[in-house]
This record gives sequence, C-alpha cells and structure tokens, in this order.
Amino acid sequence: MAEHATLWRPRGAWADTARPGRHGRREGPPGLIVTPREGLALASVTAVDGAEARLAEAIEARFGLSLPEPGGAHLSGEAGLVWSGPDQWLALGGARGDLDGLGAALRGAAAVADQSDGRAVLRLTGPDARRVLEKGVAVDLHPRAFGPGRTAVTAIAHIGVQIWQRDDRPTYDLAVARSFAGSLWTWLEAAAAEFGCEVRASA
Amino acid sequence: MRIRCPSCGERDNGEFSYLGDAAPLRPDGMEASAEAMHDYVYLRDNRAGEMRELWYHGAGCRAWLVVTRDTRTHAIREVQPARDVAKARATTPAGSASHA
Ligand SMILES: [Zn+2]
Repeated sequence: MAEHATLWRPRGAWADTARPGRHGRREGPPGLIVTPREGLALASVTAVDGAEARLAEAIEARFGLSLPEPGGAHLSGEAGLVWSGPDQWLALGGARGDLDGLGAALRGAAAVADQSDGRAVLRLTGPDARRVLEKGVAVDLHPRAFGPGRTAVTAIAHIGVQIWQRDDRPTYDLAVARSFAGSLWTWLEAAAAEFGCEVRASA
Repeated sequence: MRIRCPSCGERDNGEFSYLGDAAPLRPDGMEASAEAMHDYVYLRDNRAGEMRELWYHGAGCRAWLVVTRDTRTHAIREVQPARDVAKARATTPAGSASHA
C-alpha cells in the first residue's frame, strides 16, 4: 500500500476567489476598492444571563471600549466589538492571537467561541461602496440612518452577512460564514461591475 | 410587510420565519393527558383579527419575537422579544397565566 504524504497548509478564505486587479468597468477610477482581510482574530461573545454588568466591566478592562448597544460597533483601530444579536457580540483583533485568553478573561460572564477561521471578512471602500452594498441589502445605509460605528446583521442574496461601517469615506467591513465566501463573491463581483472594482492583495 | 425588530429596526419579512400562534404553552409532558398534548401539538385557532404570533429573525439577530398582528390587515401593533415575554410569564403568579 502506497504511503501518502499529506502536507496541510493554511489557506486564506478568499484565496483563488478574490483575484487582485481591476474588475468590471475599465474606464475611470474604481468605484469600489476591496481588500480581503486575512489573518484577523474573531470570536463570538455571548453574555451569561445575569452577568451582563460583569461582562461589560471585563470588556472595558481588556479593550478599553464599552460594550456596544444594539446596532453598534465600538472600534479602536482593528480591534473592537460589534453587536451581533441580543446579548451577543463579535470580538475583533487585528492579528491571529490577539484574542488569546479572552475566554479565560470572560469566564462566568460570557461564552466565547473562536470564529477566526469561521468567518471571512472583506473591507469595502471607494466612492460607490454604499451603492454596491445597497444593491444587496434591504437595510438603509444612507448616512441619515447608518454610519461609522453602526452595524447590521442581515442577508445579501440569501446569504447571512454582518456589515459594520468604519468611517465615512465610506469604509465597511463585511463578514460572511467562510463556506459562503465564494457565493458572496459572485454577487459582489456582479454588483460592482458597473462601477469598476479594484481588488487589492489581501491584508 | 415589514416587521420592526426591537434589536434590528424595521426589516423585510423575508428575513423572518413564521411559527404561528404564540398562545399555546407546552404542557408538562410527564403529567399531561394525551388529549392535552394533542391539543398543544395539533390544534390552533385561525382568527381573523388581532393575534399574538411567534416570528424568528433568522436572517438578522436570530431572536424569537412575539408579534401582535391583525391577520385581516397585516397591521402590526406590537413587537416584543419572546425572551422578555417568557420572563414576564415566569414571574406572573401561578394560575393567572391565560391561554390567550
Ligand atoms: Zn432582529
């Protein structure tokens, strides 16, 4: 019986999907600039019933941020917390390992589950970033209703997504279950084509 | 039809799944008669008018909601987190809980 040497290598969620370069309309500057975000630390945080105050304290001590209210995203650089449901948040760290020890720090106050390989994240910016997203979400992203520090858990093309706005250029981060990254990309590439889309190397 | 989720704001009803009448409460399976379990599992009123219904915001915050809706007009009068309704029921003195 032949022996098979199997070499396991980490593979980015957007590898072979988000091809760097110019896509869609060629003329003029790109309306959408996409940067696949690889190597982040992500974790879901669910409060233990009755321990909400203790959780808020522990989060404040660890991140220097308060727990966001429903629909809120509290960010400090690449780190932060994004509300994701009643008594639930997505914790963010800019690099793998940044959330190490979070489970221990929140023991008794919250359930923490690593999502670093479970979600795929894109950063979307450019003058037409909002127009592209508006083709897919049934949530009002106009500045009168949404803006930096706001998040929405919703669906694009029947795919569950979470969007949070970082700044008013505007820049959005979009998270999707990793196994849906390819399907979401098919939608994004088609939706962005009319505006011209520049895909940058993952960062 | 849109539903104003207490956490997410007004959302298209495609983000929600419908379960039905929020009134039936599961009997204690070890104590209840076969008739009571049959009633709980199979029998539902189908009122033309205001109903309290369970909806699940699956494509949003993944919370169960109790929606007070008029089945004739789709007018929605109130949306509450089902968790809050259950907690309020748990603190209601025994015997005062109503089926409707
Ligand atoms: Zn909701």
